[in-house]
Amino acid sequence: MIIRILESFNDSPLMLYILIVAIACIGGGIPPMLERRRRREIENQLPGFLEALSDSVGAGRGLQEAMMEQADSSPGLLTTILKETLRESHSSSFEAMLASFAAKTRSTQVQRVMVLIDTALEQDAPLQPILSDLSRDYERLNDLMNLREVELQGRGILIILFVSIGLPVLIAFIVGLFAPASKGYQITEFNSTFALFFAVASVIGVGVTGRMLGRLKDMLWWLPLWMVLSMALYLGAVKAVGG
Amino acid sequence: MRSLQEKRELLYVIRTLDVLISSGVGLEAALHTIGKGGYGVISSDFESMMERLTSGKTRGLGDELKSLQKKAESKGYQRLLNTLYTNVTQNTDLVDTLKKQGARMEEERTEEVEKYIETLGGVPESLLSIGMIGPIILSIVGLVPQIMSGDLGAFMSLPEASTMNLVVNIGLVGTLLAMFFIGLKAHTKDPGL
Repeated sequence: MIIRILESFNDSPLMLYILIVAIACIGGGIPPMLERRRRREIENQLPGFLEALSDSVGAGRGLQEAMMEQADSSPGLLTTILKETLRESHSSSFEAMLASFAAKTRSTQVQRVMVLIDTALEQDAPLQPILSDLSRDYERLNDLMNLREVELQGRGILIILFVSIGLPVLIAFIVGLFAPASKGYQITEFNSTFALFFAVASVIGVGVTGRMLGRLKDMLWWLPLWMVLSMALYLGAVKAVGG
Repeated sequence: MRSLQEKRELLYVIRTLDVLISSGVGLEAALHTIGKGGYGVISSDFESMMERLTSGKTRGLGDELKSLQKKAESKGYQRLLNTLYTNVTQNTDLVDTLKKQGARMEEERTEEVEKYIETLGGVPESLLSIGMIGPIILSIVGLVPQIMSGDLGAFMSLPEASTMNLVVNIGLVGTLLAMFFIGLKAHTKDPGL
């Protein structure tokens, strides 16, 4: 059945080429999504972790001791990574442990915080106010990032759904009803022009959504899939309605 | 693009300078630390500035900061460089100013994100209006030579099919361009989180 469906698109080789690229790109599109989810989970835990460290340091604990306590008592991915790093770094220095922890999280926010803590330790700066300030800074930053995500995600999905799915199906119905191929209308060239238009419109729709959400690079992997989907929906619906 | 990169790094640079200077590090050493990397375009600016200073090719830190101000594109970065310049020439309370600037930068960032969300509120509607009305009209225009062929076409003196196709193609390209320029707002107004 799949081969028969594919054969019905034999007169649109571009769509079939893009389909192959789209299938290959799915493999590249999934890891950034999983990585992003992991990173955001870590980053959302960061302000709470810093606040707890600030409290412990304020109560007279050393930073290393406070970190060990947090690793044991707090749940979450951030503290799990910290616990793992502490377990692995028995014979290395505390600075090396901080660097290793920052690298393992693969988060820019955690890496920046660790660099700043390291600098503060080097300069013998008071840690409690620094940790407390950092906690507030990153809480606000994460709140803004989450707000952007929540507010703009719906709009982004709306753009993609309308441009890549709604519009091709709508136009296909107009074409299929007014000029059905079964009644001898010559619309092959017309169809290939419009299929190409929907592919490019999908590129724009997905690009705008990616930029709105601040993750254009991750979305690029899904671009061929949306292109081929819009082309297939248009050409398929024209055939289904117009014969 | 540079302005966006500056905005993205500036708050972290201010916080690091604050930590370094309040713990007794000198301004040049603090700038050198930032120049070692980790703060994108600002790191490379400071690195090249420190290189010129150590090679003796410049008249001093004040002049370097002043010339860097001309290169800076974002207002926040220009303000930071001006604060550093004033500190070099007039020995001002840098820690206090950096704290105030950090707080101000945060406020500005929050405002910018809220404004960005508000600005993009109308983008889906505009994008969909242009992106849907255009192709609907153009598809009908493209089908007219097929539907109104024969006597009806001759009676209405319709242009030739090739002319109609050209109009449709130009219209579709125009629609794509309009969609692109509407969507460009998402890039140009980015607050740089």
